[in-house]
Amino acid sequence: MKVLMFTWEFPPLISGGLGMACYGMVKALLAQGIKIDLVLPTKEMVYFPLREESDVDTLPTVFLDPVMHTEYLSRRFKTMNERLEFLGISTQPESYLQLTDIQLFMTAVKKEYWLSETVTKEEHEVWDEMTTHLIGDEDLIRKVQEYTLRAERFARELDFNLIHVHDWLTYPSGMIAKRLSGKPLVVHMHATEFDRAGGPGDERIHKIEHSGMSYADRVIAVSQYTAQMVMSRYRIDTGKIRIVHNAITISEDTVLTKRRIFKGPTILFLGRITLQKGPDYFLEVAQRVLKVHPEARFIMAGTGDMARKLLRRSANMRLMNKFLFAGFLNRKQVETILRASDIYVLPSVSEPFGISPLEAMAFGITSIISKQSGVAEVVNHAFKIDYWDVDLMAETINHLIENPAKCRKMGIDGMHEVNRIHWTEAAQKIREIYSSLLALYIKSNP
Amino acid sequence: MLNVLFYFQVHQPYRLRHVNVLDIGSNSNLFDERMNREVMHKVAEKCYLPTNKLLLDLICKFEGRFRISFSITGCAIEQFKLYSPQTLDSFKALVDTGCVELLGETYYHSLAFLYDTNEFLDQVALHRQLMQDEFGYYTETFRNTELIYQDNLSDLIYEIEGFKTIITEGVDRILQWRTPLYAYKNYSKDINLLLKYYQLADDIAFRFSNRDWPEYPLTVDKFVNWIDHLTLAEKNNRNLFLNLFMDYETFGEHQWAESGIFDFMQHFPDEVLKRPHLGFTTPKETHNLANYQQESLSFMEPVSWADEQRDLSAWLENDMQKNAIESFYYLLSRIKQKGDPELLEIARKMSTSDHFYYMCTKYFQDGDVHKYFSPYDSPDQAYIYYINALADLEERL
Repeated sequence: MKVLMFTWEFPPLISGGLGMACYGMVKALLAQGIKIDLVLPTKEMVYFPLREESDVDTLPTVFLDPVMHTEYLSRRFKTMNERLEFLGISTQPESYLQLTDIQLFMTAVKKEYWLSETVTKEEHEVWDEMTTHLIGDEDLIRKVQEYTLRAERFARELDFNLIHVHDWLTYPSGMIAKRLSGKPLVVHMHATEFDRAGGPGDERIHKIEHSGMSYADRVIAVSQYTAQMVMSRYRIDTGKIRIVHNAITISEDTVLTKRRIFKGPTILFLGRITLQKGPDYFLEVAQRVLKVHPEARFIMAGTGDMARKLLRRSANMRLMNKFLFAGFLNRKQVETILRASDIYVLPSVSEPFGISPLEAMAFGITSIISKQSGVAEVVNHAFKIDYWDVDLMAETINHLIENPAKCRKMGIDGMHEVNRIHWTEAAQKIREIYSSLLALYIKSNP
Repeated sequence: MLNVLFYFQVHQPYRLRHVNVLDIGSNSNLFDERMNREVMHKVAEKCYLPTNKLLLDLICKFEGRFRISFSITGCAIEQFKLYSPQTLDSFKALVDTGCVELLGETYYHSLAFLYDTNEFLDQVALHRQLMQDEFGYYTETFRNTELIYQDNLSDLIYEIEGFKTIITEGVDRILQWRTPLYAYKNYSKDINLLLKYYQLADDIAFRFSNRDWPEYPLTVDKFVNWIDHLTLAEKNNRNLFLNLFMDYETFGEHQWAESGIFDFMQHFPDEVLKRPHLGFTTPKETHNLANYQQESLSFMEPVSWADEQRDLSAWLENDMQKNAIESFYYLLSRIKQKGDPELLEIARKMSTSDHFYYMCTKYFQDGDVHKYFSPYDSPDQAYIYYINALADLEERL
């Protein structure tokens, strides 16, 4: 079975939530013998023929143009990244960055400052990523248009049994591929525009989402929560919807052992500081907990358009030096902060799945998860609380601080539970979806 | 007789490094040594060394008739020793002429007076000792950080530390119809009070190179004529004091050499001393020169020399500033309880008012003077680094 897959993100260069999910899923599908031709938003006309599990890390590449391909083969690249950069893949998860973020970023910075020697290396990386890949001449919609225009050639020239696309950015490509080939289309819903925007969002994107799902033969939702959204907000035929929960991949070189930064209990928020993620509820919770447990430390890691507002508000609440802002963290730094934390809070207002609590749980951190999230459906050893119920969240944290043994036990149970969540299971479900679609296709195209 | 009193403020803060949450507990240096060194080198080269030389020459030339005063913070002295010892030597040479008065202040240029009386007195004593050790000078006049003053400050300074004179801003809302040219007394009539003549002082400190200013360019002739005019109002031969207080970095740093500020200073004493009814003096001498009953002035609310408002709003207006300083003094009290001298020294370097000045949001949109002086990109960043540094310090307890 061979699948033509379109996605906007894939590691190592893009490792947002969507990228990480695609990575785990594709790797597990390959392990089950499914062949995948992967198309990414590269500048060059290339695709990645993935045949074995290890291919997800090496990303073998083929140029559609044979002359170009010969030339490409003659080139020598020192590193994987150098090779991928040659193909032109951006390194930021654009679909998750809103235009307002970029505008805020641009107005909040002085160019001279970022190019001076006083900035740290990490800050410099952020600057590079922002400037090189985001503040270009085109906005996201236009990039999607260009990507879609090229889908036609892939659909015509490659040989495949069905099409699988991830999130609205690639839905138009999937639709074109289906139109040209007549092959079945699976669209994967990782996050709807309602989730991302924390409100109505961009109407153009709604239309793309709706038409993609309507035209598809199957819609895979990452949770029951998302499936509900797909049915109630988009009115998609219930019979087409399948639920496949995400899993996590903890890379082998990850160090999971505790290394404290603070003597006191450390409570972490990790994610974009935007309306969707509910950072303001985290602040409310912190204020309540600190009244009872001034020895606690609250860390807010991430960036986003609400960061400034929350900073000012935390000062207004006089949370002293007990509510700290860690800013944007890279992978290694995320690991450091997870090793230093005791309690993880995901107060998202709307979270289709939410992979980061699973990651936190893998570190043995006790997690408090918003009920308005998909991840709440797959774990038992975590506290599930409505995002708006800050009193209950605060009480729970107080209780955990007062009963450290219980907190540790919950963390360890959670770790064991998460360790059993593998992509293999998810891939099996996806393979069954593929098979049944193919059977139907063969029946109707004898 | 009108006496011109120059007082120059010499101060360099210990600027904080970009302290991240992940750095906490790594026991690394909280201060940006490289930046502090670079700033000190730059300011020494552009301001301290050339201006000290100029002033030394003038003092020698006029054989005691040209007199000036300095207030030099402990943070500045320490950083001279670390990064620019020749600057310290050149200040010593100036003090050795006997024509320079040194003023007392808080060692760390802090706002301790407003938050922690004991810490305030400790820092005042530390500074007095430092002036004694470095210059062999016993300070008799006091200036509080940024000329912040209110009635109860004079009590502390007079009763506990025995200072005889205190200087502050000539704020209109206090002076009302009065002129800052007379020597006044504090509210309890115990201590001599001198007030900055901000119109003329700021002509040099802020407006000197401003081409949009109608009086640009400011020539020595013009400026001395203005001063001369001030004496006309006084018919009873009372001695007047024109208090020109400013940051020392005005010379060569805030006003660049190209603006002609050094030429101005070079010729200014000459022009003043040509006129028999004009002269120079220093604050501690005003005691004997005030040949009249000095009126007492009451300052119920704190004043300062900063910004248009001349109040505390440059350091203590927004929530970030307030949360930062309240957290600081809470932590300081804990450090003092613990009695760890190493931590106490680090903490005190964080008491410097500049840290709170960087968090000021009053003028940030306009990219005003606050921004010019801030080593950080925004008030928010200054706040984040400061709070992270406090969190780090607390973990070391």
